[in-house]
Amino acid sequence: MIRYIFRRVGQGLLVLFVLESLTFFLVRALPGNPFLGERKLPEHVLAQLNSLYGLDAGIWEQYLRYWKAILLHGDFGPSLVREGTQVSEIIGQAFPVSLALGCLAMLLAIVVGIPVGMAAAYCRNSRADAWLMFAAVVGICIPPFVLAPVFGISLGAHVPGLSVAGWDNPLCMLLPAMVLGAVNAAYLARLTRAGMVEALASDFVRTARAKGAGTGRILWVHALRSGLLPAVSYLGPAFAALITGSFVVESCFQVPGLGLHFVNATTDRDYFLIQGLVFCYGVLIVAANLAVDSCQAWLNPRLRS
Amino acid sequence: MKPSPPKPRGHSFLQDACQRLCCNRAAVCSIVFLLLMLLACFVLPIFPCVANPNLTDLDHIAIGSSWQHWLGTDHLGRDMLARVLYGGRISLLVGILATAVAVALGVVYGMVSGYVGGRVDAVMMRAVDVLFALPFIVVVVVFSLSIEEPCRQLTDRAVQLTGWSRDTLAPIFGLVPIFLAIGALGWLTLARIVRTQTLVLREQEFVLAARSLGLSHFTILFRHIAPNLLGPVIVYTTLAVPGIILTESTLSFIGLGVKAPNSSWGTLIKEGADRMEVAPQLLIYPAVFFCLTLLALNFLGDGLRDAFDPKSAKD
Repeated sequence: MIRYIFRRVGQGLLVLFVLESLTFFLVRALPGNPFLGERKLPEHVLAQLNSLYGLDAGIWEQYLRYWKAILLHGDFGPSLVREGTQVSEIIGQAFPVSLALGCLAMLLAIVVGIPVGMAAAYCRNSRADAWLMFAAVVGICIPPFVLAPVFGISLGAHVPGLSVAGWDNPLCMLLPAMVLGAVNAAYLARLTRAGMVEALASDFVRTARAKGAGTGRILWVHALRSGLLPAVSYLGPAFAALITGSFVVESCFQVPGLGLHFVNATTDRDYFLIQGLVFCYGVLIVAANLAVDSCQAWLNPRLRS
Repeated sequence: MKPSPPKPRGHSFLQDACQRLCCNRAAVCSIVFLLLMLLACFVLPIFPCVANPNLTDLDHIAIGSSWQHWLGTDHLGRDMLARVLYGGRISLLVGILATAVAVALGVVYGMVSGYVGGRVDAVMMRAVDVLFALPFIVVVVVFSLSIEEPCRQLTDRAVQLTGWSRDTLAPIFGLVPIFLAIGALGWLTLARIVRTQTLVLREQEFVLAARSLGLSHFTILFRHIAPNLLGPVIVYTTLAVPGIILTESTLSFIGLGVKAPNSSWGTLIKEGADRMEVAPQLLIYPAVFFCLTLLALNFLGDGLRDAFDPKSAKD
């Protein structure tokens, strides 16, 4: 088991290294440069800026310097567009916001999605099942950019205490988290139903039933364990994506999260910030996949060998 | 002469699947709805009953439904029905083209990876892992920004070659960066699915027989293995189209997708969301068309999955 984890962590580090190198060359291959603002800068100012940030060196030298700064000092470099800010500062400010929002959204999705999926699987092929699964497909088909303005106008404007924009009190989190959670709840419900239907038809559930276990115990203890497997493998990457923020939801509700930076940094050609963000996302994805695999091994004894 | 007895007719796998699909009410309704939507978006605007989507009717600005404008007009007095239909044309076109790119890339990549196997397979799959770990939005932006310039040159060439005006060609070529960018990332899941299938198929007797007959690897892959992948590929493709249309609309919503002369459902929804308090119909109509199309595609995909893979169907 320990050897397996070591190997997986090694593979993850390799993926991260390739990812970061790929991003490094990809963003520098972009046409344009970070200093193209509204005003065209004179030639000598541009040269000065380039040498200030070390962008005038050869690409391989820049590459080596970049890795050296990360590995030796944990330094992701400065932001090229926001003068005087470090990439780590920007991420340090925005990440907690997205993390809080993402966790709440995930919680909502799990609390709604998994019980709905279980209920649908329990009374499968009934009318209730059909309606629940219809609702889940509808949930998948209404994208956040439709849901956000609709929730904003229908709930945010009428329910006192809920605010449509901003990030100054905890209640502000509720609407964006609901929008983010809705799609995930719908996916979770479908995956849980599929897993539970299979689990409920299996031999060990029949044995449990023959033994005289109650419905609640069969559902929550015996079947849920293996019925959760498909949902768990979805949850990992979805969680990593949620806590790194969503551009649509953050711009609709004016949340100062990480999602906005992903788009803005790329369109601004803020090289170091893009690299920092990709690194952050990559670490989370790799960690999430590792967590999913360990979780599945824990849930399903057959996967442990 | 005695009439020969009718030959017993076998059912191919595909016929069986079609039959199962026809019994699925939701899937059949979806097919009908999608065909109507395609007709409405691609054929209907040819007829004069649909107004010019860019024509402004300054006497009727942001009004509700009327006889003249069935779905009302937007804040500049443009006919909403025409705008929704033209927007749907762009959304569906980008969706179909991007899916075609994704399917072509995914099938070939997955087949080669699974068929060759060994170290090549390992390297190819690690590459897929790396691409999976890239944030989607960054890659799409990088990709579409870097092929914008080549596309502009391509438009110039096309203008020179065909002699058509720039105004007709620019909107068409303007779509190229966006569908290439979406397609270039949409193939990852399909490549994994196809690889797993190919790994199973290449061990089967018919591949051994083909190899012992001396067929080339190319023939084996495309004549013998590819047809067996049809089922999963069709199912995955149908389920991928709504996702890809959604991606395009999300990008257009945040202003990175379809560019100015064109508008897709995503841009319309964005415009509607900005004026929602004044004229909610500007958000509602495109959103309803958009969501219904996605819904139909999802139901069709589910139906196809049940038809092609009866084991996974509801028990």
